[in-house]
Amino acid sequence: MEAESRILSRIKHALKERPKALLPEHPHPALSQDPRELLLKRLAENGAEGHLLDEEGVKRLLANLAQGLPGAAYGKGVPAALRLLPELPPEEAPLGVSRALFAVAETGTVALSSEDGRRAQLLPPVHLVLVEEKRVYPSLLEAFLDLKSLPSALGLHSGPSKSADIGQVMVKGVHGPGRLVVAVLQGTW
Amino acid sequence: MRVKAKLYPKEAARLLREKPGVRDAVTGATLHFEAGRKKAYQEVDAEAWRERAKRVKDHLLTHLDQYLELAEKRLQEKGVQVHWAEDPEEAHRILREIVARRGVRRAVKAKSMLTEELGVNPLLEALGVEVYETDLGEYLIQLLGEPPSHIVGPAIHLALSDIQRLFHSRFGTPLDASPEALAAVARRVLREAFLTAELGISGANFLVAETGTLVLMENEGNIRLATSLPKVHVAFVGIEKLLPRLHDLALFLPLTARAATGQRLSTYVSLIQGPAKEGEEGPEEVHVVLVDHGRTALLHDPEAWEVLRCLRCGACLNACPVYRQTGGHPYGYVYSGPIGAVLDPGLLGLEDTHPLPYASTLCGACYEACPVKIPIPKLLLTWRRRAVEQGLAQGWERAAIQAFSKVMQSPSLYRLFSKGLRGLPLPQDWLPLLRAWTEGRGPLKPSPKPFHQLWQELKE
Ligand code: SF4
Repeated sequence: MEAESRILSRIKHALKERPKALLPEHPHPALSQDPRELLLKRLAENGAEGHLLDEEGVKRLLANLAQGLPGAAYGKGVPAALRLLPELPPEEAPLGVSRALFAVAETGTVALSSEDGRRAQLLPPVHLVLVEEKRVYPSLLEAFLDLKSLPSALGLHSGPSKSADIGQVMVKGVHGPGRLVVAVLQGTW
Repeated sequence: MRVKAKLYPKEAARLLREKPGVRDAVTGATLHFEAGRKKAYQEVDAEAWRERAKRVKDHLLTHLDQYLELAEKRLQEKGVQVHWAEDPEEAHRILREIVARRGVRRAVKAKSMLTEELGVNPLLEALGVEVYETDLGEYLIQLLGEPPSHIVGPAIHLALSDIQRLFHSRFGTPLDASPEALAAVARRVLREAFLTAELGISGANFLVAETGTLVLMENEGNIRLATSLPKVHVAFVGIEKLLPRLHDLALFLPLTARAATGQRLSTYVSLIQGPAKEGEEGPEEVHVVLVDHGRTALLHDPEAWEVLRCLRCGACLNACPVYRQTGGHPYGYVYSGPIGAVLDPGLLGLEDTHPLPYASTLCGACYEACPVKIPIPKLLLTWRRRAVEQGLAQGWERAAIQAFSKVMQSPSLYRLFSKGLRGLPLPQDWLPLLRAWTEGRGPLKPSPKPFHQLWQELKE
């Protein structure tokens, strides 16, 4: 407590004579493009894979990813119909499947809530993210303005884990998944 | 940490002499970052973004007390435990208490410049806690026992061959192991650490006052792991790191990523509101330590407070021709390059950091790069003026500047001197002022024509 009041009173003292600066508003440019299309494009530019799929398409994608795998780790929000593989703990699973809270087109991003479960988002080497098409925002600004409440942790993922710390060579999958696959789901789920 | 800024010119010369490879590694990496930033700035209205970001930060800083109180309130509402520390000693006391109460034996750390300032690793080691830096670059320099040499790329001064040798002696990997193979070894060691550590330590890129949100940017995923797997998460946050509103992130996240690495957004951004709720995975305890350590004094300084806008993106380092020669180590403190040259004197006092404001050509590239428009060249001159006023600058500098201004003010004197000086043989190694320069470089050669003649020709 003591440190707090000392620091705050020093700040008040420092600011006494200083003119106050106004807080600017951020402009809100409208996106002309279909946000789903832009999302897929930006994901690809970020080194991730994006697909716009109906229910059958998602099942095919899942079946493809699941080939030869013993199981997968699932986020809580993944519908039972899409849990094609037996469930494994995230530490052991070769595939993680999560359901995103929303996605952002301009940056090629999926937003993952801690309520869905964090380990499946981070520990397996391959990460499949499902997101409903109506949850794709054109911009970060619109997504943040629309957020009513925040989970204990929200992770914005915009591609595979990467690092260029070893001799400036880009290496994927350093700590998190080396492969990110995003399925934008058509219709409602 | 121990401050060695006073030795700057000597250390820079020594590094150029003893480790010539560093210059190539740093130049290569910074030019790459710099090209990425330029391209990323071109895609957007960078001027408008920078101006807006500057104004948001100025608003925040001129209302800092109110936003700190708001942030504290919001954090506490979400169950975060808020601490305040004026200096490293207070920060240590807070961390020591958490380590003892939770019986921490192993900690995983995310890269953070503030924890470097506070000396968190030496403290934890003294407490018998095993600390793992988990950012790959940071892990490399931890193994080498070196401090970071760049705000964003702590190991950019290392060549692949340096790391191959390091891993060969540490882990027995072949001397020609690929970057992928080396990264896989590090991943295995660090994955084990993530799964067994009781404590995760991080800094913060931002703290949003309106919502009490801790914001962390990265590309590897180690920060998401370090803040998700251990039962306790402690974040050290400089008091200047606040942002007013959640939606300010829509500007600051992409702007910082573009400035730092040329990305539209970092691969991973963590927005942390507090400990895990019932039935959720994640830490049981989240602590935020709000740290002053020289920042309120800087805020008080009417000429120097603008550096507090700094986002620690490293763009000014990448743009700086002086930094590029040596990397960050010779600057002798956590913050190197142009921002170090104006921030370090502000945080530590000019007395201990005196030569740093001279570690610049004043070319202005740092200002062009800076996402929050910190007028670094102007601040460098402010600190140089103060150095002269405080009698810290060497006597010859004052005399030389006086003589120089005399000559420059008189065209006839100027012509006389430029003619006379060009005729003299240039001293190469005995002139004390130039030794540090000439030792690392080829011989100096005078231009065949005087400047005013070249200028005339250019105009014609
Ligand atoms: S001074 Fe500007 S460019 Fe340099 S690190 Fe800070 S924000 Fe980035």
